[in-house]
Amino acid sequence: MSVQTQSQSQSSHEVALRIENVGMRFGGLWALSEVSFDVERGCVLGLIGPNGSGKTTLMNVISGVYRPTTGQVTYAGKRIASVPTHEVCHLGIARTFQVVKPFASLTVRENVAVGAMYGRYGAKRSTRASFERAQELLEVVGLARVAERPASDLTVPDRKRLEVAKALALDPDVLLLDEVMAGLNATEVDEALQLLRDVNARGVTLIVVEHLMKAIVSISTTIVVLAEGKKIAQGAPADVLASPQVIEAYLGSRWVKRQEQLKEIEAQRAHAAQVQPPDAHG
Amino acid sequence: MRRIGLGGITGSPYAFAVALVLMVLLLAIPLTHNGYIEIVFRGILMYATMAYGWNLIGGYTGYVSFGQVAFFGIGAYCSAVLSQMGVNNLFLDVLVACAVNGAFATLVGLPVLQLKGHYFAIATLGIGLAITDIIANLDALGGTSGLRVQQVDEAHFSVYYYAMWLVALAAMLATFFIARSKLGYAFVAIRENEDAAAVLGISPRRFKITAWAISGMMAGAAGAVYAPANGFLDPSIAFSADSNVFPIVMALLGGIGTVAGPFIGALILAGANELLQRYFIKIHTLFFGAMIVLVVLLLPRGLVWLFGLKGGARTWLKSLTAYKA
Amino acid sequence: MQLLAQDLVNGILAGGILALVALGFSLVWGIMNIINLAHGAFIMLGAYVTYQLYQSFHIDPFLSLPISFVALFVLGWLIQRYLINWVARAPILTTFLLTFGLSLLIVNLALIVWTGDTRGVTTPYSGANFTLAGVTVPWVKLYTLLTALAITGVMQLWLTRSKTGRAIRATSMDIGAAQLSGVRTANIYAIVFALSAGLGGVAGTLISLSYALTPTMGDPFLIKAFVVCVLGGLGSVQGALIGGLVYGIVEAFATQIDVTIGTQHISGSGLQDAIALVVLLIVLIVRPTGIVGKATA
Repeated sequence: MSVQTQSQSQSSHEVALRIENVGMRFGGLWALSEVSFDVERGCVLGLIGPNGSGKTTLMNVISGVYRPTTGQVTYAGKRIASVPTHEVCHLGIARTFQVVKPFASLTVRENVAVGAMYGRYGAKRSTRASFERAQELLEVVGLARVAERPASDLTVPDRKRLEVAKALALDPDVLLLDEVMAGLNATEVDEALQLLRDVNARGVTLIVVEHLMKAIVSISTTIVVLAEGKKIAQGAPADVLASPQVIEAYLGSRWVKRQEQLKEIEAQRAHAAQVQPPDAHG
Repeated sequence: MRRIGLGGITGSPYAFAVALVLMVLLLAIPLTHNGYIEIVFRGILMYATMAYGWNLIGGYTGYVSFGQVAFFGIGAYCSAVLSQMGVNNLFLDVLVACAVNGAFATLVGLPVLQLKGHYFAIATLGIGLAITDIIANLDALGGTSGLRVQQVDEAHFSVYYYAMWLVALAAMLATFFIARSKLGYAFVAIRENEDAAAVLGISPRRFKITAWAISGMMAGAAGAVYAPANGFLDPSIAFSADSNVFPIVMALLGGIGTVAGPFIGALILAGANELLQRYFIKIHTLFFGAMIVLVVLLLPRGLVWLFGLKGGARTWLKSLTAYKA
Repeated sequence: MQLLAQDLVNGILAGGILALVALGFSLVWGIMNIINLAHGAFIMLGAYVTYQLYQSFHIDPFLSLPISFVALFVLGWLIQRYLINWVARAPILTTFLLTFGLSLLIVNLALIVWTGDTRGVTTPYSGANFTLAGVTVPWVKLYTLLTALAITGVMQLWLTRSKTGRAIRATSMDIGAAQLSGVRTANIYAIVFALSAGLGGVAGTLISLSYALTPTMGDPFLIKAFVVCVLGGLGSVQGALIGGLVYGIVEAFATQIDVTIGTQHISGSGLQDAIALVVLLIVLIVRPTGIVGKATA
């Protein structure tokens, strides 16, 4: 029961990540059920849905933290669930975490360098090369000015940047961003969005989970909407957000009914006004 | 790449330079032809090596082990057993001790390194005690009566000193190179946040076992030289509580997670301990207990940290209340 | 069959003491997240207090229970307030080493005061026992078990019913919420630690009736306390009780092992620490939350 519309992305139409019939059960509760969609290489896929809809669970499944109860996630032909955590990044998938925990007593540069050392191409990198790569990435995310400071000194927005830099150090093809903009003010959000666009322009496929509608809409090429663990819509942002199912999922069926009732009343009033103009006396 | 003021993960480079100079100076000890002094400093080098070993698993990787004595004892018994079999070669002793301890650490590490924090610490304490029990009960290894270990003659006795010096130097340099290499960063990453480290491609199991194996080999090498130097070995000597705790306190005093710390700590504490044993035998353990309490309360990051500290006394004083309830 | 029953009874009798030993240890661990390596020293002090009172004033050991409790309670309070409090929230290495250093201090002071000679508390009724269904039960051990159970019961009641007891449990569950409700954590910590020391002292008194006294007598109990806590789950009275009894029984049977392989003789009683470790590892790996409760590391 999902709404499919033509996506207008400039992506390559090659499938990077395939999510097939994924279901996740915790005890008696199905946090996800029958979720399927493809992620095209090079796109920016926004993952949205009301609280509790299963977005973070899905992120955890895609990044290999959870093993799905049903279905599978495949990347480049490999099933992610069977790969241990420390090898997921070697496949080409990286993610950021909502609760950011940097390596506190290492410097910002060292934090990123660790990713460069042990990430996808880490084996070929020397310590020096890793630090150079880290420095490059710090420039990209805008943390070059605090490269030598201990990570524990950073402000919240800078910590988020650090998370992104560390993930980028893994040379990923696909980057999962879990509520990376939570806690940022309007200016910081714009800066973050620009950063993400830059990253995407470098060829990294992004999957973004966010609550901020404006942010998601402005950056996504495709949107997938979850509600109560099921996918209820997928497609271009404008289409998806206009879809009645999505509106109902966010605002509830009573709201939708009320809107319809209000429209009816409005229509009747307009009709009545045409038939019987208001009294001249008022 | 410049490191931050605290010296990054090697600790203050000045402290390291000082430590190296002191090490070189220690080469001259046998020239004093004073057997007592030689034994004292040989002990310092032995404890320094063990402190380096502990520093690697406890300081850098953050897995506080109270069982390093097991490795020391096993290393010592390797030498003793080889001696019983007629082999009295220090190089072989150290080699075999390293091999056996590496295997032991890997084997035991597989289940035990899955534990975290307090559980890991007490499990290692238990391992130390259990190994003591087991060896004390093995008649083949002399049981509680112990084994005699072949020694070289009086004239060449200093060979044990030089051997211990080499072992200590190896431990110091190994720590230095590890700290500057990718391996060192893996250890520290695990200490700071093991889950985040895994996400960045570091296999916790692989690297924890590596850290433990190397640290075990260091302690084992020290034990392997100690056994022939002492001439006699029994479970209470090989697995003494002193061998367990001294290295930890030394690493703490000197500075955990640094390259110079263990050596400096060993120098100070073993030296002080020796003096006390000479002149105040009754209270020397009392002193040690008090020392531990003071170091823990006043110098939790160690002396090397103090060297590299920006802000002097005020920062230090502030740090004392950091963990108040 | 006779032998098995005897072992079982021995195990239960010993288990009661272990439960009491573990209770204090478990409270500090569960509520303050501190492993008190000086707990063995507290036990030892309790035993020596009883010894000294008996030697000098002929006070019956069972009557010295309240005295050793108070003495150790005060000591524990002082130690926590003026030493441990400074590093209450520090990483484990810090508190480990601190309590270890304290242990060294206390044990060595005891060595100076009482020397290393083995001592004992022998009362006129020490050797008396009765036989039930072929199993010999020493009276002293039975009383010890009953006392231990009684004290454990009182603790449980106090923790669940009294205001302070509830404050303690609140702190262990969620320190932030407890503080918001007006609980002064520094005070709670002091009380918990003092209580734990007091319980250790009481355990020491009971132990002095059945075991030899030396300044290092507390060490084996420390390791067993740890295993019992892991077995039974942290911070709960029932956990300590069940863990203690189970471990007591396991140990009673394990120390009976006496086999000879070739020329190698293996006796369970000499391998007590190894047994403790094996039990510990098995539990930690198979069921880390313990038999009863939730463990917080």
